[in-house]
Amino acid sequence: MNHSFSLFEQVFLVVGLLSALGSFAFEVGRRIDVIATGTGSLPFDKPLQRIWRVIREVLLHEKVIRGRLLPGLMHGFVFWGFMVFGLVTIDHFAIGFEYPLLSQTAHHLYSFIVIPFSLLVIAGILYLAYRRFVLKPVALGKMSPTSGLVAVFITVLMLTYLFGELNLSNTVWKVNWWLHSLMILAFLFLIPRSKHLHLVLAPFNIFFKPFDQPDHSPVKIDMEASEEELDKMLSDLGKMTQNQALDIFSCVECGRCMDACPANRGGGILDPKHHFILDLRDPILESGNVDVLSQVNVEAGWECTTCQACTEVCPVGNQVEKSDEIRRLQVLVEGNVPQEYQKLFNNLQNTGNTEGATSSSLVERLPKYTPEMEYVLWLGCFARYELDPNFTTSVENFAKILDTAEVSYGILEEEHCSGEPANRLGDKLTFAMLREHNTEILQNVTKIVSMCPHCVVNLEKEYAKYGQVSYKVEHHSQVIGRLIEEGKIAIKVGDNGKVTYHDPCNLSRMLEEVDAPRTAIQSVTDQYFELPESGKNTLCCGAGGGLWWKKETEGRTHLVRAEQVVDSDADTVVTGCNFCYGMMNQGLGPLTPEGKEAVQVKDISDIVAENLL
Amino acid sequence: MKICVLIKQVPDKDSPLSISDNNLSISESNITWVANESDSYALEEALQIKEKQSGEVVVCTLGKESAQQIMKDALAKGADRGILLSDPAFENLDILSTAKAIANAIREEKFDLILSGLQSDDQGNSQLGLLLAELLDMSHASMGMGTEMTGDSGIKVKRELESGWFQWTELTLPASISIQSGINSPRYATLKGIMMVKKKTVDELNAEAVGGDSINSKVQLKNLYIPEKSKETTFIDGSPDEISDKLVDIFKNEIKVLN
Repeated sequence: MNHSFSLFEQVFLVVGLLSALGSFAFEVGRRIDVIATGTGSLPFDKPLQRIWRVIREVLLHEKVIRGRLLPGLMHGFVFWGFMVFGLVTIDHFAIGFEYPLLSQTAHHLYSFIVIPFSLLVIAGILYLAYRRFVLKPVALGKMSPTSGLVAVFITVLMLTYLFGELNLSNTVWKVNWWLHSLMILAFLFLIPRSKHLHLVLAPFNIFFKPFDQPDHSPVKIDMEASEEELDKMLSDLGKMTQNQALDIFSCVECGRCMDACPANRGGGILDPKHHFILDLRDPILESGNVDVLSQVNVEAGWECTTCQACTEVCPVGNQVEKSDEIRRLQVLVEGNVPQEYQKLFNNLQNTGNTEGATSSSLVERLPKYTPEMEYVLWLGCFARYELDPNFTTSVENFAKILDTAEVSYGILEEEHCSGEPANRLGDKLTFAMLREHNTEILQNVTKIVSMCPHCVVNLEKEYAKYGQVSYKVEHHSQVIGRLIEEGKIAIKVGDNGKVTYHDPCNLSRMLEEVDAPRTAIQSVTDQYFELPESGKNTLCCGAGGGLWWKKETEGRTHLVRAEQVVDSDADTVVTGCNFCYGMMNQGLGPLTPEGKEAVQVKDISDIVAENLL
Repeated sequence: MKICVLIKQVPDKDSPLSISDNNLSISESNITWVANESDSYALEEALQIKEKQSGEVVVCTLGKESAQQIMKDALAKGADRGILLSDPAFENLDILSTAKAIANAIREEKFDLILSGLQSDDQGNSQLGLLLAELLDMSHASMGMGTEMTGDSGIKVKRELESGWFQWTELTLPASISIQSGINSPRYATLKGIMMVKKKTVDELNAEAVGGDSINSKVQLKNLYIPEKSKETTFIDGSPDEISDKLVDIFKNEIKVLN
C-alpha cells in the first residue's frame, strides 16, 4: 500500500527530525567536549582485540547476561530488537517522505524477523519495568521516572509497529504512523539527557577500555622540578583522564558495582556507583571540565580494597575504582593521611619494609640468590617479616617443591617492599623510592617468582608504567602448575576432604590467572568445588588496598568472604596470596559455629607439598 | 605568634635494643631513628595555631647530625625554619644542661610559645619544657591535651590529670607547654612541602655558640643495663594436706616469710 503525506506533514516531519537530531547532537557534543578536556588520550592500540571485545560485550551481551542472568537476557531482547529495528526505523521515516527504502515484498519478508523480535522487546521491557518498579532491587537506586517513561516509549513503539503491520484504513494507519514517529523523536530528545545515553556511548567505552586493570595513570615525581612544574603536576592530579570522563557519561546506573563491592557489602559507606561515577556527572557537565577528583568522598576512598570487582562487573566497560586518585590527592596534596598509614609509610621510608623491621629470621634460613640460579624468590614483607607466622610453613613448602623439582632459586637480602601498599594508598613518592631501589637490585635478574600477587602486580605491571622492566615475574602457582604439567614433581591425590579455592583479586583480576592454581589444587584432591564467587568474579578477602594495615574499619569488609567460606562447608580453603591467607586465618576461627570444625587454610604450596610422592 | 617546637630524634619503638660494649649507651647498629612521638603532636599543634593566627614555627633540636632527618620532615610538614644544636660535647648531656643549651640558643628569639612533647621515648625525663620555662622566665603547663589562644597575650590549656580528669588553665604569654600524644591528628608531609624544604634554613649551633664550658653535665652515667628477668617456678605435688605442709615449710625455711 502506498501512503501519501501532505506538504504540511512533511514540513512538520522535517522540523521534528531536525530538532530531535539537533538536540541529540548538541547534548552529545557537550559531553564530548567535556571528555576532551581530560588528561591523556583514548587508546587505539590492538584494534582487533578491541573490536572483538565490542562484539562479545555489546553484540553478544556477554557480561550483561553473565552478571545477572534473567535481567541480562531481557535486556538482550530489547537490545537485539533495537538492532533489528534499525532498518525498520529508517524505512519508517523514508516512507514519510514517500521514498520507502524497502519494497513492499522486502518489508513484508523482513517483518517475519521484526515481529518476533518486537514481541521479545515487549517481554523484555515489561520484565525490566516490573523488576525496577515492583521488585525494586537496592542496586538500582531510587525511583527513576525517566526509566518508566522509556519503558512506555519502547512498548508504544513496538505496539504501533505491530499495529501498523495490520491491514488498516488510511486514517488509522496515518495516526498510528505519527504516534510511532513521535515516540522515536521523543526518545531522541531523552537519550542524551539520561542514563540511556549508554546505548550510544557504551560500545565506544568498551572499545576504549584499557586491557590492564587497574589503569591509574602513573604519578611521575621529579624532585628537581621547578615550583611551576610542581604546581602543574599537582593540579593535574585532580583531573580525570579522557577515558575516565567517558566512563562517567556511559554509566547505566545498574549498580552491579555496588553489589560486587566488598566494602559496601561489609556495611561500609563506599558505594562505587555514586562515589566513583555518578557524583561526578553533574559537576563535570556543569563546569565543563574534569577537575573534580578532589570532590570525591574521601572516607569512601579510604574504604576501598582496590579489588577491581566494580570494574570487572561493569557491563558498559567503566573503570569504576577511583581510590587511587582520591588517595594520592589526600597524601600528596592535602597531607591528610590516617595515622596508621603514616606509620606504615614511615616504616617503608626508614627500613624499606612495612613493619619497620631490621632483621628477618626467615631470610637467614633461605638460599641467597646468585646469578647462575634460575629464579629470584621474591618474599615480600608479609612472608619475610612473618605477618602471619603460619605462612612461614607455606614458604618452606614452596621451597620444598622447588627443591624437589631441582629448580634453583635464591632470595635477595636487600629486597625492599615492592611498594604496593604505598602505591595503592596514594604515597607515590615512597612508592618511587622503593621502586628505584628494587629496580636497581633487579638490574641483572631475568626471572622472579613470588608467593605474593600484590608484589607480582607491582614489580611487573606497576613498575612498567614508569620504565621498562627487564625481568619476568611469575606467581608461584604458575610455576607449580607448570612443574605438575611437565611432570617435574610427582604428586598423589591425597585425602584432603572437601577443598575449595579462594581466588585472590590481584591474581585473578589483575594478573588474570585463574587456571594455574586450579591445575595445582585439582591434581592433589578429588573433592574440589568452587565458591559462589570465583575466578575473575571473586570476592575480596578485605586486605587489599592497604587495608591490612588499617587498624579499625567501619563495617565488616574483612569478614564477608570468610563468612562465605564458612558457609560453603569446605574442609580446606586454599588461597594463592599471603594476605588472603592471613585474613582467612583471622576470620574463620571466630566465625565458625560452635561444634563445627574450623575450615583449614592452606596456600597452594601447602596442599601440593603435602601430597608430594 | 612566634612558636618554637622542640623535637628529638629517638630510636623507633620497634627497633631491637641492645647495649654497647662500653655499657654506657645503646648499640645503634640496628636502630631506626624517628621523631619522638609526642613531639609530632606538639608540632601539629603549633602548625594549627600558626594557621589560625599567622606567625612563625621554628623547630629546634639537640642531637646528632642525623637529626637533620626529623628536622627536614618537620620543615616539610610546614615549620618555617630549624635550629640544630649539634656537638660531640653534647653526648650524654643531662636534662638540665640540655635545657641550658637550648635556652641559650633560643633566648634572643623571644618566642611567644614553646611547645614540646610531653616526654622523650628514649630518656623519658619529661622536664625540658618546664626547665625552659624557668630559664627563660615563661609560664608553664604540662600534659597539654588541648590549646586555645585567648587574644595575643594568653593561652588556655587543657591539662590531663589523673583518673580521666581534665583541667583548663590559662597562661599568660610567653609560655612553655608540654603536649600529650593524641591531642590532634598529625599531618603527613605533602609533596609540595617536601619540595619546599630546600628553600628553608636550618641554623647549626655548636657547644661554643650556646655557652661553651658552662654546659656541663651534673649527672654522670655509670652503667646501663637491662634488668635481669628470672622466673623460678616450683611445682608442689601431693594431697592437699601434703601440699599445705610443704608450702608452710617453704614459707618458714626457704623464703622466711613465716616464723
